[in-house]
Amino acid sequence: MPLYRPESSCIPHRYLSLICLSLSSFLFVACGKNSFSSLEPLPVSTYLAKPGDFLGNTYLLTAQIDSQIKWEEGVGRILAVVVEGSSSRIPVFVSDAGGKNLHVGQRYEMRANILEGGLIYVEELRKF
Amino acid sequence: MWKSYASFSIGCIALAGQMLAQGGPTSANGFSAPSAQPAQANVAAPTGGIFESSSFLEMANRVFDPTSDSMDFENGSFNWKGKTFNLTEQRAFRSRFERFLLASPTREEEEYALLMADILERLSVSNNNTDDAILDTWELLFRASAFDIDGGNSTIVANQVFNAWRIRKESRGVALSQRELEDIRKYQQEVVANRAFIADKIQQQRIRESSASRGGNSDSASSSGGGEDSLTSEAAFRVLDLAETEAKILALESNAAATGLQAKLQFQSQIVSFMLQRRFEHALVLSGFYQWLFKGSHQQLEVGKSQLAEFLPGSDLAYTVDSMSFVSREAVNDVNKGVEAVNAAYAEGRTMLALERLQEVFFLGEFLTELNKIPVEQRRYMLDLYRSLIEAGDLADAKDYSGVGIMAEKISEMAEDFPTMRVLSGLETAKSMSDMAVFAASQYRNIGQIDKAREELKQAIDIWPSNPAIREFQMETTKLATAGSQGIQVFDDLFERNDRRAIYERRMELGFALSDDVQRKPLLMAVVEEVARIDLLVKQSEELVKQGEAYAAWELLVEASTIDGSDGPMNQARAELAPRVADFVLQIDRADRQSTQGHVAGALAAYLAAQDVYPASRLAREGITREADALIEGIVLTD
Repeated sequence: MPLYRPESSCIPHRYLSLICLSLSSFLFVACGKNSFSSLEPLPVSTYLAKPGDFLGNTYLLTAQIDSQIKWEEGVGRILAVVVEGSSSRIPVFVSDAGGKNLHVGQRYEMRANILEGGLIYVEELRKF
Repeated sequence: MWKSYASFSIGCIALAGQMLAQGGPTSANGFSAPSAQPAQANVAAPTGGIFESSSFLEMANRVFDPTSDSMDFENGSFNWKGKTFNLTEQRAFRSRFERFLLASPTREEEEYALLMADILERLSVSNNNTDDAILDTWELLFRASAFDIDGGNSTIVANQVFNAWRIRKESRGVALSQRELEDIRKYQQEVVANRAFIADKIQQQRIRESSASRGGNSDSASSSGGGEDSLTSEAAFRVLDLAETEAKILALESNAAATGLQAKLQFQSQIVSFMLQRRFEHALVLSGFYQWLFKGSHQQLEVGKSQLAEFLPGSDLAYTVDSMSFVSREAVNDVNKGVEAVNAAYAEGRTMLALERLQEVFFLGEFLTELNKIPVEQRRYMLDLYRSLIEAGDLADAKDYSGVGIMAEKISEMAEDFPTMRVLSGLETAKSMSDMAVFAASQYRNIGQIDKAREELKQAIDIWPSNPAIREFQMETTKLATAGSQGIQVFDDLFERNDRRAIYERRMELGFALSDDVQRKPLLMAVVEEVARIDLLVKQSEELVKQGEAYAAWELLVEASTIDGSDGPMNQARAELAPRVADFVLQIDRADRQSTQGHVAGALAAYLAAQDVYPASRLAREGITREADALIEGIVLTD
């Protein structure tokens, strides 16, 4: 029995445009997610022991906000977060531009750079 | 002995002060008292010391004074049912009372008691009171006076009675003379009356004759007039005789009245005297005779009113012989009841009570044989108790508290109702106050305030001269004064080696040595304060460890280490505690290290970790705040 092979020319234009839209949407989402998924999680215990060893690196933090340690208007805030897979709290800095309305107990995925002094600077964050 | 000892101690302080003034190389200024040394802060001046001492003595005087409340030796009075007797001097009373307690009743005293009872019975109004019976009773008085216990008072009674009888007899003689004079006066009155009657008749006859022969011979008239004059003169002489007789009668009457009054007054005076001397039986006997010798209308007392006013203060009653008899009889009855009360209290083990009541009874009934109802053995026991109380009181006056305590224990064994606990409690309070004063003196001495130290020491000696702490204080002061002369060199060496603990441990002698050193003294005080603060923190830490608060204890030790990280006792305490708080110490140390290395965020993370271990940590809380501020500041500067 001969296999049925649909003719590409048989596909109506209206379906083609729909497929393209879907594909572009998928690519957009995939590319967006890619900015977090490509990151390694921060090794918290090692960071606590030697924060200087992580300077200049970027990590993914999946964490829950424990408390706000300090907030400086126009600068940002220092949060104490509990990273998933660890019981320790670590401090992170979120600039005023980087995040608004952060509450204790919220869970975020964060893209963070380790800066001078071991500062965990959150570049981007999103709820999950 | 204690006085010389006290002066020696005070002298020691003064000597130490002098040494300080001479020994310091920079002794320009005196020791500045206002510097708030921790030692001074602990000084609690026993402001109530003297009060405490005096209150103990008052209490001791009350407790150890065996005399009854009704006996007031200061004012010399003994109060009994509102009547006030003159109390003899205390030592004299004590000797008489002790003599009574040592004496034993004799057969002679029993016989005397029976005889006096017989005399009183015979004088009773219900008995035969003829002159012969009274005379027989009077003769018994001489038998009574033969007894030693009577003291010759019955003879006085007998003499008073005899005197009254003699005066009465003299009065009878006076009455006889008075009757004779009255007869003469009657005769003379008749004579005078007859003379007057005859003269009147002659006068009337002459008037009649002159009217009958008017113009008669004037010579005859003049001659008959001479006879009338002679009659008148005789009548005048008779009148003078009559007046003389009247005067003699009046004189005799006055004499008789004065003699009777004198006898009465002597009797009354002796009754009052017997009663005030507590010779109640003799007062009763004399009153009995008085009532038979003098009329009922003569019962009012004319003598001894001022003495009776003192004896019965506040009374405005009229004093009579009967009232004196009543008081005397009441006293005798009261002595009987008192003796029964004493024996009952003693039998029930209330020995202190028995002793107090016995003294009252003894004073009131000292000359009554009713006191012989107190058994000899009981008297001896009370004598021992009485002597012990007096000895304890003397020891309390001498402030020999150890001796007082021993005597109080001994007395409590003799008398169950003795307030031993009150005495011992008072002793302990007085001792504590003296110890506190010595402590305050030490504190003042250590900070160089010699005058205040001297005052406190004096107070300590006043309260308790034999306080052993005073001797220790004196020895310590001597030692300090000796060591003080080398203090400056010692301080310089230790300070150069930064051996603060050694400076602290020798602070007393160094305080003496540097009290006038304006350069070194502030350094010494700073070191003492620092080490004292470390000691305090270490002690608090030990307490917290005992309570299971190891992390909090560690934080105190960390605080102590900031004062002086090289302090031995503090480091030893840290070493002992570290294994128990290793997890916390790890994070704190890491935070410190990160902070030192400039890893502010790392330090912050470590502090957060430390706070996770010990949420109440002050170190972690302060570290978090500090590092967060630094972190924000760094970000702002970077931007």
